[in-house]
Amino acid sequence: MVVAASQTVAGAPPRPRVARRRRANGSTRAAWLLLAPFLLGFAVFYVAPIVVAVVKSFTAVTRTSTYGRPVEVFAGLANYTAALGDAGFTGSVGRVLLFGVVQIPVMLGLALVLALALDSAVVRLRRFFRLAFFLPYAVPGVIAAVMWGFFYAPNLSPVNQLLDPLGLHPDLLSGSVILYSIANIVTWTFTGYNMLILYSSLQAIPPQLYEAARLDGASGWAIAWRIKVPIIAPSLVLTGVFSIIGTFQLFTEPQVMAGVSSAVSSSYTPSMAAYAQISAQNYGLGAAMSVLVTLLIAVLSWLFFRITRARAAL
Amino acid sequence: MTRTSPPTNRLRRLGAALAAASLALAGCGSADSAAPAAAAGCAPAGGKVELSFWSWLPGIDQAVALWNQGHPDIHVTVEQTPQGNQGTYNKMFTALKANQAPDLGQVEFDSLPGFRVQQGLRDISACPGVADAKSKFVDWTWAQASVGGDGVFAIPQDTGPMGLFYRKDLFEKYQVPVPTTWDEYAQAAKTLHAADPKLTITHFPQKDVNWFAGLVWQAGGHWFTQDGQQWKVNLTDPASTKVADYWQNLLSQGLVSNYQGFSESWNKALDSGQIATWTGAVWGVGTIAKAAPSTAGKWAVAPLPQWTKGEQRSGNWGGSTTAVFAGTKHPAEAAQFALWLDSDPQALAILTAQGGIYPATVSAQESAKASPENTRFFGGQDVDAVFREAGKGVSQDFTWGPSMEQTYAHVRDGFGAALSGNGTLGKALSEAGAATITDLQRQSIPVAK
Repeated sequence: MVVAASQTVAGAPPRPRVARRRRANGSTRAAWLLLAPFLLGFAVFYVAPIVVAVVKSFTAVTRTSTYGRPVEVFAGLANYTAALGDAGFTGSVGRVLLFGVVQIPVMLGLALVLALALDSAVVRLRRFFRLAFFLPYAVPGVIAAVMWGFFYAPNLSPVNQLLDPLGLHPDLLSGSVILYSIANIVTWTFTGYNMLILYSSLQAIPPQLYEAARLDGASGWAIAWRIKVPIIAPSLVLTGVFSIIGTFQLFTEPQVMAGVSSAVSSSYTPSMAAYAQISAQNYGLGAAMSVLVTLLIAVLSWLFFRITRARAAL
Repeated sequence: MTRTSPPTNRLRRLGAALAAASLALAGCGSADSAAPAAAAGCAPAGGKVELSFWSWLPGIDQAVALWNQGHPDIHVTVEQTPQGNQGTYNKMFTALKANQAPDLGQVEFDSLPGFRVQQGLRDISACPGVADAKSKFVDWTWAQASVGGDGVFAIPQDTGPMGLFYRKDLFEKYQVPVPTTWDEYAQAAKTLHAADPKLTITHFPQKDVNWFAGLVWQAGGHWFTQDGQQWKVNLTDPASTKVADYWQNLLSQGLVSNYQGFSESWNKALDSGQIATWTGAVWGVGTIAKAAPSTAGKWAVAPLPQWTKGEQRSGNWGGSTTAVFAGTKHPAEAAQFALWLDSDPQALAILTAQGGIYPATVSAQESAKASPENTRFFGGQDVDAVFREAGKGVSQDFTWGPSMEQTYAHVRDGFGAALSGNGTLGKALSEAGAATITDLQRQSIPVAK
């Protein structure tokens, strides 16, 4: 290659060229050497699991007798058809779709309002509120879910004890509301996180824009909706995509709720459904479910990008 | 089986669950390399041997320390793990796939067939001392440890005969006789609830399907039978249906509450006197004393209510074994340790006192005694005498299926739906049976149609 290159480039003095190449090769080698630990880790802990999961999703086991040795064989699309035919799994996808449609707008709306409020000069104690809103994100998801579980359990909840004399006995763990109870936990945990992303992009807007707007007679509301929101729209899209991914990965909160509510089934979310199969040594089916969810996340994120880009003309 | 209070376990279970899931996805299960459970030959290695052992029983380290003292040539290292269904089984399966499993592990009766199906267990029937030990153990426990009847894969450790824990004071206060039959129990449920609308006779623990299975066991049901090379699955035999219909009837009338077993809500309900009975197992003596400390002295234990007056049948809920895993290089020594741990009087004394187990050997059951503080909790009653009798009434031929984890999940989901008003317990059982058959077929485990 080196020879061919130096031959084709007419008029160029060959010697320094080769020398430069050599130097370049040397530093390339050094770069690769420095990158090697990362690349190794990337391959072993990032690429390999994905490859293995995809390969596994096309395998099943056969055995000749009850306690016969399981032999892994190629199963074609059997795991995929089984996953798509599994009412528990498809139901769980529908459930998180509903969850996302309700929860994501509420959470991002709240995050946006909080970010705008903090960004406006109106709010005093800005630092305090910024920290206070963000704090739930620092609470590990399991702890948060256990804590909310206490608030929800009818005979433990301090809220219920206050409502009891009024003759109100809400059961936030029952089948009809448990999805919203979980949505509440997720909203509580992640609103501050999203707010922080939006808030930092608000901070990056040059103040001259506001000055100009004010000179043109724009009100605070107009500045917020006509200037701030359109400018931070890319951040909103980003938080939207994060939320879509997070919704489909929902596991911790419902898993903890399953310990206190009879309404949370073992395949309540796609992650739980895949986990249940893997616990039962059905690696192929579990892997197929995981791959399907990944594909679905990819498609939905892409669609979301397309739609928002068209709307916001980003 | 040992149960401890939920919140911390819930965390641990989740942690283990996440770890197991990621490991499983990471493809540690790519090689099918566990050694076959060879029946032939089991000679001691001679020389110094190191064994590893996973168990969740409180105080197990003390028993192991005692063993190590007396057996300088066979050193056992014990690792404390969360209770089996709270993550340890997943960890064991993952380790088995990765050839990293310990030599021995604590495995409950209901999970033994699953471990054997996944080639996880070593047949120790040819190991020195194993065949002779059979007579020491309660018959049905040995039958369970020989999974399928053609080997010995574990040494029984403890059992869980069931009885009726009840609030002596409440039954006296409302002048309700302690029920001896299930009909009387349903009657008592009505009377107690009528006398105090906040009081329910018990809760229906949707998640503890092995509790329900214990009642099916008592009623003479058989969910799984092994017919030659095939499994027969039937979750809706007449006995199972009878039990399901019975509880459905109580649920429909609002006579039992809907707390999850071992949850904080359940503890609170027990402690504040809103639950009058619990059909629990012998290990529940410690559970109830811990869950409801303010009710000390108010509880008593009676035999489980009977379906036919005058019978003395009981069910079994829980019970563990010390299983020998497939990859062990020292099956003879592992078997020797397991036999010692589960039948030596000194070892059992430690496990009984520290872990609250009810041993599986005939002689230790004769002398089993609840701890002084638990005896005090039950007003001085000799609770073990009740469970000793109950143990004699546990039928011998109940077989667990090869994928109980999944069967439990299906029944749990169906029960949950029934509790939310969608369907009935009976429907849940029939659907769970069909789903279990699908599961077995997916794993290519032969099922009789």
